[in-house]
Amino acid sequence: MSQIISQPAIRRLVKQWLREGKRVVAPVQIRPDLVSYQPVRSADQFLLDGFIRPLNSIKEVVFPRHEQLFQYRVRGKQIDLLPAPLPDIERIVLAARPCDAAALPILDHVFNWESRDAAYNQRRKLTTVVALACMEHDAHCFCTSLGGGPDDTRGSDALLFDLGDDTLEVRCVTDKGQNLFAGQTESSTRTAPSVPGPERQADLQQVGQQLEQAFERSDWAAWTNRCLGCGACAFGCPACHCFDMVDEGGPTCGARVRNWDACQFGQFTLHASGHNPRSAQSQRQRQRIYHKFHVYPQKFGELLCTGCGNCTRNCPVSLGVLPVLEAMQAEGA
Amino acid sequence: MLQPLRETCRRLLDDGTVQVVIGYGQAMRAVEPYPVFITDPNDVGQLVWNEQCRTNLVKYLLRQEIRALGKPAIVVKGCDERALVVLEQESQIERSEIVVIGVACDGMAEARCEVCDAHQPRFADHTIGHATNKEQSAERRYAHLAEFQERPIADRMDYWKAELERCVKCYACRQSCPLCYCQRCIVEKNRPAVLDTSPTLKGNFAWHIVRAFHLAGRCVGCDQCSRVCPEGIDLRLLNQSMARASEASFGHRSGTDPQAELVLGNFSKQDQEQFIR
Amino acid sequence: MNTAASDPANGEFEPKIVAYVCNWCTYLGADLAGTNRLEYPANVRIIRLPCTGRIDFNLIVKAFEIGADAVLVSGCHPGDCHYTSGNYHARRRWMLFRELLATLGIETERVHFTWISAAEGKKFQQLISEITSTTRDLGPYHAYREICETCEV
Ligand code: SF4
Ligand code: SF4
Ligand code: SF4
Ligand code: SF4
Repeated sequence: MSQIISQPAIRRLVKQWLREGKRVVAPVQIRPDLVSYQPVRSADQFLLDGFIRPLNSIKEVVFPRHEQLFQYRVRGKQIDLLPAPLPDIERIVLAARPCDAAALPILDHVFNWESRDAAYNQRRKLTTVVALACMEHDAHCFCTSLGGGPDDTRGSDALLFDLGDDTLEVRCVTDKGQNLFAGQTESSTRTAPSVPGPERQADLQQVGQQLEQAFERSDWAAWTNRCLGCGACAFGCPACHCFDMVDEGGPTCGARVRNWDACQFGQFTLHASGHNPRSAQSQRQRQRIYHKFHVYPQKFGELLCTGCGNCTRNCPVSLGVLPVLEAMQAEGA
Repeated sequence: MLQPLRETCRRLLDDGTVQVVIGYGQAMRAVEPYPVFITDPNDVGQLVWNEQCRTNLVKYLLRQEIRALGKPAIVVKGCDERALVVLEQESQIERSEIVVIGVACDGMAEARCEVCDAHQPRFADHTIGHATNKEQSAERRYAHLAEFQERPIADRMDYWKAELERCVKCYACRQSCPLCYCQRCIVEKNRPAVLDTSPTLKGNFAWHIVRAFHLAGRCVGCDQCSRVCPEGIDLRLLNQSMARASEASFGHRSGTDPQAELVLGNFSKQDQEQFIR
Repeated sequence: MNTAASDPANGEFEPKIVAYVCNWCTYLGADLAGTNRLEYPANVRIIRLPCTGRIDFNLIVKAFEIGADAVLVSGCHPGDCHYTSGNYHARRRWMLFRELLATLGIETERVHFTWISAAEGKKFQQLISEITSTTRDLGPYHAYREICETCEV
C-alpha cells in the first residue's frame, strides 16, 4: 500500500500553511526559461511538475545570502550591541529536488564544526523539506555518479512522486514529514515506478584518489582557462557555503552582516598586504574541486557535491565541476 | 562557414601569426558552445560555429590567463566586435597585436538579432562568410526600452524591486562584460566601502546604478550581462537607456566608429539640456 | 538620518534636502545669502565639494539611501568653472544619469540641478525655498526609503 495526495489537496495544504504564518518555498516559474525556488505567496503560484531543476538552491532557507549578526548603536560614549533575534518562522520547502535536499546534511557538518552556528541550526530545526522525485534530467545532471539519484531521500523529510493525472505518491522519511502529512493522504495501491537517473557521466568514485596526485599538475590552467571568476557556480550550488562578514552602516548605527562569498572571486583570498595566495584563476578552480572532492570528504567523510549540475547550468561559459573532472579524467590523471 | 573558419585559424597558428585562437567549442548540442583557446594548429577541429554561439568572447582578451598564451586571434560576430572598438579607444588593447576573425552571422535566435545592423563584421582582419547589413531605425532598436518606459514610474520601481530582489551579487554580469575591466571594481573597494556589498535591495540598487552608469556611453549592447545572469534579470533595459540617451543627446553609438570621441570624458560647450536651472 | 521628523504622523512634513555644491560658486552664493541675511528654509544640508565635476553620481543615490527627500546639485555657470571644464563634464554626466534614474523608476523631480554663481545669493535663497515647497508637496520619499530597509531574518 502507498499513500497518495492530489495536487489540489497539496495546494489546499499550502494555503493552510501560509495562513498559519509559515514560510513556504517552492519552484516558481519566473520566465519561460527560468525556474527558481522562491517564497510563495499564493497556493497556485508554484510548480509541481514540468521543470528539471531550479537554477538556485534551497540552501537559502537555512543559510540566507544576507543576514544580520548584530546591530550597533552609538550614543555618546556608549555603544550598544543588539544581537539579531533567532529566527522563529517555520519553513516548508516543497518540491525540492533530491540533489538539493541531499546537501542539507552536508551543510550540517560545517555549521556545527568547532562552533555551532545558532541561527543556522535554528533555521534547520524550523525547516521541513518535501522533495519531489525527478522524472526527467538534463545534460548537466550527474547525481548518479556520486551515489545519489532521482529518488534519493537524504536530507528530505518526505518525498513525492508524480503518478500522473494530478496525483502524487507521498513517502514520509522522518517524523517531521509524517507530521506534515498526517491525515492528509489516502491509501492506494498505486506506487511510482522507479525512475532511471542520468546515466553515469564519469567514474567519480575514483576522483578523490586521482586528486591525491593532481595538485601540482600543470594542466589546471588548460582545464579551467575559460573561467571568468564570478560567483554564479557557488551561489547556485546547494552545498557551497562560504561567507564574508562586513560591517555596514554609519557612525551612529549599523550592523555586522554575513553575506555569501565565493572562492572564484579574485578578492576571496586577497590579503591586506596585497599578496594573493591564489593569484591565478586556475588555482581558484583547483581549490573548488579540491574542497569538494578531497578536503571535505577527508574531514567529514562526505563529498561537498550532490551532482546537481547547477554550477555548469549557471556558468556563463558552461564550466562547473563536471567539465573540469571530465577534462582531468580524459587526461588520465 | 566552419571549414573556412578552421582553415583560417590553422593558417594563423601554423605560420606563427598568432599563438592562440579564441573561439567556440562545443561538447554536445544540448550544452551551449563554450570558449576554447586553441594553441595547436592540429586542434582547430575543436572549433565550432552555429546559431548557439551567442557568447561574446572579447572579455578574454583582457584576462591574464589568456594573455599569457601569446598573441591572440579572436572569433567575433558583428555585435561583439563593437566591444573591440571601445577597448581600443580606451587604450585597453593594442589592435595591431590582435587578429580579428569576423564571422558573418544570420542571427542567434535572440530578440536583439531581429534589429541587428551588424550581421557582417566591419572591422575584422579576416571575414568568414557573407551577410548583408540592413539599417535599423533607433525606434526599432530601442523598442523594448520604449515599451518599458511607457509604464508609470511607480510600476517601474516595483518592477526593479522585484527583479533586483533576486540579484545574488554573483557578478557574472560584470565578469562577462568586455567593458567591465577595472582592476578593482568599485563594489570591492572596502577602505572605505563605497557601496554596500550586501545583496539586499539597497545594495543591489546601488550596484546596478553603478554598473549601468559606468557603462553609460560605452555599452555596446552585446547583452552578455543579461544572457549570463543566473537570476534572469533584464539588465538590457538599464544599458539601453544609457545607450539611447547617448545616441539622442550626443549622436554617439558606442563601438560603431573607431574615430569617435568617448561620450563621458569629453564635452561640448553646445551640449543641450532642459533641466538645469 | 533620523526619519521621524519626516513622518507626517508627527505633524507637518519637513522635507530633508541634501545640496551638493561646488566650492567656488554655489557655496559662495549660499554664503552670500547668509551674510546678506536672506532667509531660506532650514531644510537643506549643504555639502561642499571642490567642483561639480567631482560630484559622483553615487552621492545622489547615497543621499536618498540615508533619507533625503530631494537632492540638489549645483555649481558654476558654464564658462565659469574654476577648473575650466568640470561643469561641462558634469552636465553631460547628469544628462545621462537622469535617464538612468527614470528607467529605474526613481523620481527625477526630486533631483535638481542648477548653476549658481558666487554673486547669486538671491537665486540661492529663491531656489531653496522653491525646492523645499515642491518637495513638501511631493511628500516624503518613501519609495526609495523602503528599498533601504533591512531584510527579514
Ligand atoms: S558542485 Fe556543482 S554539481 Fe556539485 S552540488 Fe555544487 S552545484 Fe551541484
Ligand atoms: S566556473 Fe563559471 S560560474 Fe564558476 S566562477 Fe568560473 S565562470 Fe563563474
Ligand atoms: S549576474 Fe545577475 S544575479 Fe549576478 S550580480 Fe549580475 S544581476 Fe546580480
Ligand atoms: S561596475 Fe564599474 S567599477 Fe565595477 S568593473 Fe564595471 S566599470 Fe569597473
